[in-house]
Amino acid sequence: MTEEDEAAFDEFLAARSTALLRTAILVCGASASDAEDMVQNALEKVYRHWPRIRHDNPEAYARRVVVNGAISKARRRKVLQEITFAQPPETPVESPDLGLRDVLVTELRKLPARMRAVLVLRYWEDLSEAETAALLGCSVGTVKSQAARGLARVRARMENLEGASA
Amino acid sequence: MNVEEALRDAMAAQVAGVHASPSLGQAVRRRSRRHVVRFRTAGAAVLTAAVAVGVPVALTARPDAAPAGGSLAGTGATGPGVPAASAVSSGDTVATPEGVVPDVVGKSAAEVNALLKEAGYTVRVTKVVTDEAPAGTVFAQMPQPGTAAPAGAAVTITIATTAGPTPSDTEGTQDPQMPQDLGDLGDGRTLGGVHVGYLPEGLEWGKWSGKDGFGKRSYTTSWVEPGLEPGMYSVQMIVYRKDAASVLAKRMQGYAAQGAEPVEAGGRKAYLVSLSEGGDRILDGGTRTIVWTLAPGVGVEVMISPDYAAKLGKAAADRELKKIAAGVALDK
Repeated sequence: MTEEDEAAFDEFLAARSTALLRTAILVCGASASDAEDMVQNALEKVYRHWPRIRHDNPEAYARRVVVNGAISKARRRKVLQEITFAQPPETPVESPDLGLRDVLVTELRKLPARMRAVLVLRYWEDLSEAETAALLGCSVGTVKSQAARGLARVRARMENLEGASA
Repeated sequence: MNVEEALRDAMAAQVAGVHASPSLGQAVRRRSRRHVVRFRTAGAAVLTAAVAVGVPVALTARPDAAPAGGSLAGTGATGPGVPAASAVSSGDTVATPEGVVPDVVGKSAAEVNALLKEAGYTVRVTKVVTDEAPAGTVFAQMPQPGTAAPAGAAVTITIATTAGPTPSDTEGTQDPQMPQDLGDLGDGRTLGGVHVGYLPEGLEWGKWSGKDGFGKRSYTTSWVEPGLEPGMYSVQMIVYRKDAASVLAKRMQGYAAQGAEPVEAGGRKAYLVSLSEGGDRILDGGTRTIVWTLAPGVGVEVMISPDYAAKLGKAAADRELKKIAAGVALDK
């Protein structure tokens, strides 16, 4: 690792680490500190391969490591989450203070990890279906169906909420 | 508002207040070091304490300025308040304020070891098999030159080495404390008078070894998963004999004092603990390590890299460490 590599890595961190951290939080539904630990882990892999990957879209590489790490972490957390967030989907929101955003985020967390990753990558990272498929290592068809199902669940919840407040 | 927009808005709101910590880079680099083969030069930590604080150290600014080691020899010994006189005597040297890591890439390993110790740093050595730099010279350093680091901080140097035995030292000035290769160890399972009977499936010899890096009469090597890049390890073993073994025995007493419970491995009492980088402290999230006394005057330490441990799973990693330990025997 040359001095220039190190400097370029620092620049990369300055430009991209916050975005990576945010994506990690959204994909695994974890707290900021858990997500930070995961991002550090992913970036350590990036750092190790840095001289080789720095000229070859390191951001995509980093994002892939972060997202895949977040998915497997989310799967490990799943049992806990299901307990934490368990509530029948058709129940109207109990507290009127709970805004639409909170409801949507809660709904997002209840989705299976991979489906949530698809929604985050498509609508938060603004990746195309093809880019999302490449990153997750699945087909474009899978991305389409996962996105559609995920959105349908979120939409149902949203309509439910609007119906309740009307 | 359609559902895509609502979702986008909700996601943006959820993470709006989140920012990566400015120390992320440091944390990443610290993590990275834990995966690198460890090789600590003997006595460096002790020596650090003896170096006077606040003495400006004259260092050459250019790595190709050869006489650095020589002109440096006296400066560390000058008392506090005495300017580094030798800095004046040579046009090539500059006075580096205490606490800035010098540039050592390209210099010979022995020279750098002395130089860093003079500057008050703890020297950690890793080796990498590479053709990109002459064997025995420093290939990379961490932290980078010019980085502020207090006296006593660890500076890791990566020494280029060849896959085979190190060519005999041409100048005869090699610091006896610097790691030496033991040469071709075949399957790498026999060194320092012990034989490793069991290794986790799929590991192969890391094709390097070192002598005296962890005290006089210590021997180390590592095994890797095929394809792991040079300088990384999956499992590393250190054999301590004679004096080195007594240092290890003291460390084991330290583990007991820190509350570690001994485990049984191959009929012997061993400590299976997570260790800090220096190996003397039990640390949450440290490197899983098993240490035991194999025979009078022979101690053994086996560590598993955090990456490999994560891959196996914690419980399986601990089982493998115990199995490796049980399979180590004196070489007949």
